[in-house]
Amino acid sequence: MRIPRPKILSLPFLDDIEEKGVVKASTDLADDVVTRVTSGLNISDVRSVLRGDVPARPNPRLTPHAEGFWLHMKPSYYNNLMDGLYPTFRLGWLATFFFAWETLTGLYLMVFYTPSPLVAYENMLNILSNVPFGRWMRDTHKLGGELMVLVVAFHMLRTYVTGSYKRPRQFTWATGGLLLILTLLVSFFGYLLPWDQLSLWAVTIGASTAEATPFVGREADLLMRGGPEIGANGLLRAYLIHVLLLPIMLVILLGVHYYKVILHGHSLPPEAEDAGVDTARKVPMNVRTYFMPKILTRELVYVAGLTLLLLGASAFTFGYHAPLEPHADPLVTPLHTTSPWYFLWIQGLMKLGDKFIFGALIPFGLVFGTLVVWPYIEVGRNRRYGARRIGLSIAAGSLVLAAVLTYMGTPWFAVATSPDQEAVAVLLPQTKPGPLRLADWEDIPYGTFVASEWATAPTRTTSKLLKMFDDALERGRDNPIYGDVEGFMIVEDWQTDLKKITLRVVWANPETGEPSEFSEVFYFHRNSDYGQGE
Amino acid sequence: MTDAEEQPAAEGLAGALEDLGVASPALTRREFLYYLWASSMAVFLVGAGGVTIWFALPRFREGEFGGVFIIPVEEIPAPDADPKEFAEGRFWLVNVGEEILNDPRQPDNYELNSGVRILYKVCVHLGCLYKWVPVNDRFECPCHGSKYLKSNARIDGPARRNLDQFLMQVLDAAGNVLDQTEATWSGNREGTSLPIPPGAVALRIDTGQRLLGAPNTKPGGGT
Repeated sequence: MRIPRPKILSLPFLDDIEEKGVVKASTDLADDVVTRVTSGLNISDVRSVLRGDVPARPNPRLTPHAEGFWLHMKPSYYNNLMDGLYPTFRLGWLATFFFAWETLTGLYLMVFYTPSPLVAYENMLNILSNVPFGRWMRDTHKLGGELMVLVVAFHMLRTYVTGSYKRPRQFTWATGGLLLILTLLVSFFGYLLPWDQLSLWAVTIGASTAEATPFVGREADLLMRGGPEIGANGLLRAYLIHVLLLPIMLVILLGVHYYKVILHGHSLPPEAEDAGVDTARKVPMNVRTYFMPKILTRELVYVAGLTLLLLGASAFTFGYHAPLEPHADPLVTPLHTTSPWYFLWIQGLMKLGDKFIFGALIPFGLVFGTLVVWPYIEVGRNRRYGARRIGLSIAAGSLVLAAVLTYMGTPWFAVATSPDQEAVAVLLPQTKPGPLRLADWEDIPYGTFVASEWATAPTRTTSKLLKMFDDALERGRDNPIYGDVEGFMIVEDWQTDLKKITLRVVWANPETGEPSEFSEVFYFHRNSDYGQGE
Repeated sequence: MTDAEEQPAAEGLAGALEDLGVASPALTRREFLYYLWASSMAVFLVGAGGVTIWFALPRFREGEFGGVFIIPVEEIPAPDADPKEFAEGRFWLVNVGEEILNDPRQPDNYELNSGVRILYKVCVHLGCLYKWVPVNDRFECPCHGSKYLKSNARIDGPARRNLDQFLMQVLDAAGNVLDQTEATWSGNREGTSLPIPPGAVALRIDTGQRLLGAPNTKPGGGT
């Protein structure tokens, strides 16, 4: 008979070894660890998932959904109709992925960023030129943000088209609408951070719109601006809102949104169930696709592919780079200053009239307000397309209207200035480097060149630039006030490695013959990349 | 249901409350204290919200951002010439002459006399800086396309009033005030233009004091 060892230290694993031997004790321990990590699947369950075996009854693969935190946010099975791309296109999952993506890349950028007008722009240049993968991270953060806006918008559009916002999913839709607004806001406060011209003038317009609010306008303006003038306080506020306040709100709402999806199930394609009934919650046994392994694999493959695509797109293709405008200048509002594409419709609206009505009441009150409460207004139960002619027409009409307003937000509508200034801005735009600043320094010889004689210019680069200049002036030639309009590019040797380039538009008053001119001077340095980090 | 037979259902508001379960059963002391506690918490939260906003409001002294600028009369542009920019004071100096007074684009709702005017450089729409475009003979805002004449009158775009003006004094060599901007009171509060009298040597411009432009909402300008 064995005498029990006196216990100094209780180590069950040692007892196990004593009892079962090293190998069996170790495999049992591994099995136990895997079960704990997966919240319910042991090694053989995991292998069975990976092999795609038919699950045992009761299905052990349901346990992680019941007991684990992460999978409790995912349904344990889907209707067979919902396991492919159609009808959801996995856009919700994709939006979640972009949120995670933005958090990660944002964290990376935060390491090299200080929210102060004194250094923020310098930080950008450092990220672009000096930080390993800095430019890549900035590009992919920007691209990810824009795609997130796009994906969330398409997610809403899809939900709208299939009528999936209808009872019982009204509240899911409302939280989705709020998530769209938060996504837009987080983008807005994000592009304030580089402290370039776009930042300064966007926050100026934003705060001035807030100021137009009746009764509390002055306070709203000050809260956003951080002082009577935009400066260090305003930038710090934008930063904290971008990295902390809005992401926290997003996470909370995302949780509510996910919970509601679990609660109501994914709504089936409208044609798959009887008109006016919702059968998504009761999925018959014979049409179930379990989350593990099929859906899980698809979702993972989906995001893995997208990660590669995103990194690849921002690293190699399309020559895409996140824009960086010139340093913020409180003394100059740049010509052609525009918001990013997803806010152009608001910029278009703002050109129409009263700042409170068109800048705040219509976009935020009417458009976003209606969007959020829409399922409580349009209460018809039938999700069939034929029964929703009015609702679908309103959506289609709104999209067309948004497209028109987006056009109206661009520099081509209502803000174009005189053709002489526009022509110079073609070569020397005020919001981006443009063709002249990015031209090959060596390829622009000294001398005076005439725009209309572009064909005989000494170098290809000069010829190309002069042709652009001349084409732009062509528009002015129709205008009766310009007689004999001509453009000149005067290139002088100014200092070592520095050329002084004067763009001059000269014309005569056709009646009096009195000459007029508009000119702009640009100092072209051999080694400057004008903030593009090449 | 004998109760229902004996007590006819209450009508109107009382009935509706009854249906909601608000009116009955009677309030107990415990329930009442809960409401009391909850409303005190609500009051506290509203107060805390107010304090948070108060906390987040930036601290600064009123008028800290204006300044007084002295400009010698030699720097005043000729009547009807292109306006002159003073970036450090954030204003444009305009000299109104016959041409501006008789500009057909000038809406006739506003009093306008010849002389010097100081226009605040910031667009009254959404705060961008408009610029002078000589070819079009008007100020143009690059953000949303508001257009203004040299006189300060809005003639196009989403702005809903004329450009704001700063108060100005005309000084002689001894520093005496010969003339100063007055608010016109014919239905609006815009400032007058100041003709430069003989003996004047400088303009004194106080950018801490701004006269808001008169309402101007019609297409093409005017009210």
